[in-house]
Amino acid sequence: MEPVENKARIYNSRNSRLMRETFMGSMGYKKLFYRAITIASFLAVWQLAANYYNSEFMMPSPWTTMVTFAAILHDPEVIANLLLTLKRVLTGFCYALLIGIPLGFLMGYSKIAMQLFDPLIDSLRQVPIMAWVPLTIVWFGLGDGPTVFLIAFAGVFPIIMNTIAGVQNISKDYYHAARSMGAKPWSVFAHVIVPASLPDILIGSRVAIGLGWMSVI
Amino acid sequence: MNLSVENLSKVFINDGNVHTVLSGVNFTVQEGQFVTLLGPSGCGKTTLLTIIAGFQSATEGSVLLNGQQVSTPGPDRGFVFQNYALFPWMTVRENILYPMKRRKMPRQQREQRLQELLTMAQLEGKEGLYPQQLSGGMKQRTAFIRALAGSPEVLLMDEPLGAVDFQMRQILQEELESIWLKDQTTVLMVTHDVDEAIYLSDRVIVMSAQQGNILEDLAIKLHRPRNRNGEKYIKYKVHLMNLLKKALHKEPEAPGKELELCLA
Repeated sequence: MEPVENKARIYNSRNSRLMRETFMGSMGYKKLFYRAITIASFLAVWQLAANYYNSEFMMPSPWTTMVTFAAILHDPEVIANLLLTLKRVLTGFCYALLIGIPLGFLMGYSKIAMQLFDPLIDSLRQVPIMAWVPLTIVWFGLGDGPTVFLIAFAGVFPIIMNTIAGVQNISKDYYHAARSMGAKPWSVFAHVIVPASLPDILIGSRVAIGLGWMSVI
Repeated sequence: MNLSVENLSKVFINDGNVHTVLSGVNFTVQEGQFVTLLGPSGCGKTTLLTIIAGFQSATEGSVLLNGQQVSTPGPDRGFVFQNYALFPWMTVRENILYPMKRRKMPRQQREQRLQELLTMAQLEGKEGLYPQQLSGGMKQRTAFIRALAGSPEVLLMDEPLGAVDFQMRQILQEELESIWLKDQTTVLMVTHDVDEAIYLSDRVIVMSAQQGNILEDLAIKLHRPRNRNGEKYIKYKVHLMNLLKKALHKEPEAPGKELELCLA
């Protein structure tokens, strides 16, 4: 069996890059300048393409798009739908956290839990998200149910994987140190396992919320 | 306080290969002593220390603290790790308070002990920093007083100065000694550094590379603070160096006699 750590690391390596990107915003004018170049070139290419096709339908110009976008933002129906989507994503994300984090802690800490859950989780996470759509409609009917389920389902795996990696990467010395200072199991959990794995859990959550937005449609 | 190791053995089995790390080790540490386990790398001294700490179990034999057998980690045996193992998500203050909270010490007493320890280790004003903001020496002192904070019966130290360079090491040895002289907790330290062993210890137990046999149990009778260039100091050093060389290869004959010659 492929060790779970490796799988988790794949998620990690991809996302440490994403993580760095977030911090860019607060990293000075130079970064801001490069970012401006990216956006300007993108708009330029877009404008060139729009000029070439010269058709509002095939390739609207950036300017037209902006204007339309601004107009849409004043439409109350669009806002209502936007909020609905946001609500669905957040609800699904909350379920993913509620299921993923405890399961990740359990599987990261206990080899028995790992043996029990890993085969199940490993097979479930291979199923393409779209394949669940008909089933979820049968289960939950039309409405929020299927969407929330799919968002939670898409997000739960990166959370589980990263939490497992976070727990497994905790140095044995921290456990030993805590116990030799008189820590009971609860304190080991609350003061060692949780804070030590928190960075990985946050990385998992970032991926989860990203996947949530993608599966909302 | 009385710590005794009785007939302790540790055997690892890897792919059917039996590897005896420790076999029939016996010794006793008395109250207030600073005892060092000295031996070449791979002689099983760290294994021995972690068995005493309860981080791993012995294959045979037992560890007795005040006559009670111990087999799991407990606050009666403080531990200083080679890499310090300070919790990076806690400040110096929180790290040091941690063992006191676990022992349910009342708040006022906790604060008082914290201040005492910080003063002892010259860390006043650093309590709000995180471990990664500290210099190597400050980390080492924090780890030391954190282990002392819960008032353990005995302090176990695994090469506490293993990660620093030579000059820093001597300075830290002196700092460690000065904190220890104020606190007087019984210490059992593991090292492979002869100079460190003589500078700090009341007693040096020399282990051989073969199954952790104790080659010699040597009392260091020198006044503190010790002069590293003193005649007797150097004699101890030469003696232990020779013993260690032999510890790597074969059992030396009658080590006690040799010491007499050496110190004559």
